[in-house]
Amino acid sequence: MPTVAVEGYDVEVEIQPGEPILGALCRRGYTYKFGCRRGGCGVCKVLLVSGQVAYPKAVAETVLPESDRHDGVCLSCRAVPVTDVVIRLDAEDQLRRIGIFLLDSGIKSAPGLPAKGTKVE
Amino acid sequence: MSVMRLGYVHARVTDIDDALSHYCHTLGMQKVAEEPGKVFLKAWDEYDHHSVVLEEGGVGLVKLGYKVERPEDIETYEKRAQAFGAITERMSKGENLAISDGLRIVLPSDHVVELYHEAEQTGTATGTLNPDAWPRDLVGVGVPRIDHALICCEDMETSERFFKEVLDFRPAERLVTDQSDDGELIGSWLFCTNTPHDIALIKGPNGKLHHFAFQLGDWSEILKAGDLFAMDDVSVDIGPTRHGITRGQTIYFFDPSGNRNEVFAGGYQTFPDFPTITWTNEQLAKGIFYISRELNDRFTAVVT
Repeated sequence: MPTVAVEGYDVEVEIQPGEPILGALCRRGYTYKFGCRRGGCGVCKVLLVSGQVAYPKAVAETVLPESDRHDGVCLSCRAVPVTDVVIRLDAEDQLRRIGIFLLDSGIKSAPGLPAKGTKVE
Repeated sequence: MSVMRLGYVHARVTDIDDALSHYCHTLGMQKVAEEPGKVFLKAWDEYDHHSVVLEEGGVGLVKLGYKVERPEDIETYEKRAQAFGAITERMSKGENLAISDGLRIVLPSDHVVELYHEAEQTGTATGTLNPDAWPRDLVGVGVPRIDHALICCEDMETSERFFKEVLDFRPAERLVTDQSDDGELIGSWLFCTNTPHDIALIKGPNGKLHHFAFQLGDWSEILKAGDLFAMDDVSVDIGPTRHGITRGQTIYFFDPSGNRNEVFAGGYQTFPDFPTITWTNEQLAKGIFYISRELNDRFTAVVT
């Protein structure tokens, strides 16, 4: 099963079949900036640092233009990892932990987050 | 002469089958016709042929249709819109399925509004002879009718003035930065019927859709809609809650393409002599989400 890791954080989450990046991280109790969750607004765009994703659902060109894909930007509510992926959140965003009861199983690495301000560049 | 009501919302969706599942199976609209890449839907208590058109490819708004009372109104509104400086063109009968000839207007905010005087009347689900209160075979939420749309405008003053001066809409509520003469207009909720709003305008990128809404009967129907959204994995923005502005009860949610929808109940009645209510910016959060009095990022960030 592919995994998603978030650059600068000690977080790695296994992807369930067909599951997009945002869905997997939220399922494990993490959150970051997102909007409609349905591919319409582009608020949850992240940088794909490594790995490959697929878009099983159609995505509007106005939301994720070809230039974005070329620059490695992915729409995380719709992007389904097909290999292990590492993403980088928007510079003004940060990964937060909101569901501490969801973090204790199924994760390869320790579910810890660095303290605020220690984010790796 | 008058604009009678919002007649149709024509929106883009990324996947027509997913959209049909949402609008028909979850919301309970009926598919009444289709063209290649396009479906026409109606709600059970609407007389005219359709109220929602979904077109495959992209997201956001294609256009809004407002029905006017008489054929000759078209020419009057055409003259006024042109005098205002808006781009207009005549549209022919049949350009829109089951819709008469009319006038297409590009708003100062780049949205397209179509005025038409006639639509093929196919009747409600309960009919007009000794009708029952509601149809027995409602599906899902069973929305009875479309209610309003909220669109984004960069130049709020001009956009509001267009609806007031050209189309005779009246502002029920206005949101301003402050009450001084320099106060800037941030939002305007305008009516042509006797509801709190038939169109609403909010400061934001031209051409964008914030949401379109379906009317429900009361608070318990709003809650039931929320239950159905849970059952059908609908992405919910916020609610059930109440708006300070319009006093309506609400859930904001997203269709499978990310277009925001609303189910809306309550709100007061308006009349031509309705005095405009003012909200100031420091009370914005209470105006939008009355109970929590907190805005979320999504309210302003998510438009399609």
